[in-house]
Amino acid sequence: MSADRERAAADLAALDRDRAALAEKVLQPWWFDAALGLLLFGFLAVQAVDADWVTAPALLVFAGGLALLVRVYRARSGVWVHTPARVMAGWGALVLVVLVPAYLLSSQGHRWAMVVAGAVLGLAVALLSRHWGRAWQRELREGV
Amino acid sequence: MTAVEPRFDQVVHAPPRLQVCGLLAAVDTMEFAAVRDAVGVSDSVLSKHVKQLEDAGYVRVRKATIASRVRTSLSLTAEGRTAFGAHVAELKRITGG
Repeated sequence: MSADRERAAADLAALDRDRAALAEKVLQPWWFDAALGLLLFGFLAVQAVDADWVTAPALLVFAGGLALLVRVYRARSGVWVHTPARVMAGWGALVLVVLVPAYLLSSQGHRWAMVVAGAVLGLAVALLSRHWGRAWQRELREGV
Repeated sequence: MTAVEPRFDQVVHAPPRLQVCGLLAAVDTMEFAAVRDAVGVSDSVLSKHVKQLEDAGYVRVRKATIASRVRTSLSLTAEGRTAFGAHVAELKRITGG
């Protein structure tokens, strides 16, 4: 093997090692996914009350909770990635499929529908967050 | 996936800079301290190499004050991602991979 080839192989191996080491840091702890799911559930479930004095503080808690989760994740891992557009599009479609019927039912007096929607989407975001985290981890381990 | 044209890049090639680019290519942003720890160099050495990457237009440096502490984060520019991708393609071409 020529020196250039050896050096190139060593550089590629080093890049792969760095990505593998990074993969060990990027997966969020389990409580991150649980907190994300609970925040979404809480925010949607309180819409069943249909009163501004409940929904306005709920929005503040939801936004504040998300900001805190992002901050904690960045402080722990030292990195940040934005969710890919195709993943966000899939999530947006799921939100619409669940929320539109729930909103229609809720507007006809079946306010419990928002609690169910919150439970479904809260559980979904927790599971999907875990899935996306593991998928990114696998991608990093595959190397450059 | 679009094939990347292999191209040796002298700015990316130097050992600490290749590592820095490799880490930043895997994320959107990375804290300066996290890059420093991963690369295993001092603040001053990393700063010097980041400056060279910044001057080449490959890296963007952002400073933010959070809880009265200045945090520096690094990210690859689109040009930096292209250059790194082309350099990796060249390394693979050399190794026949």
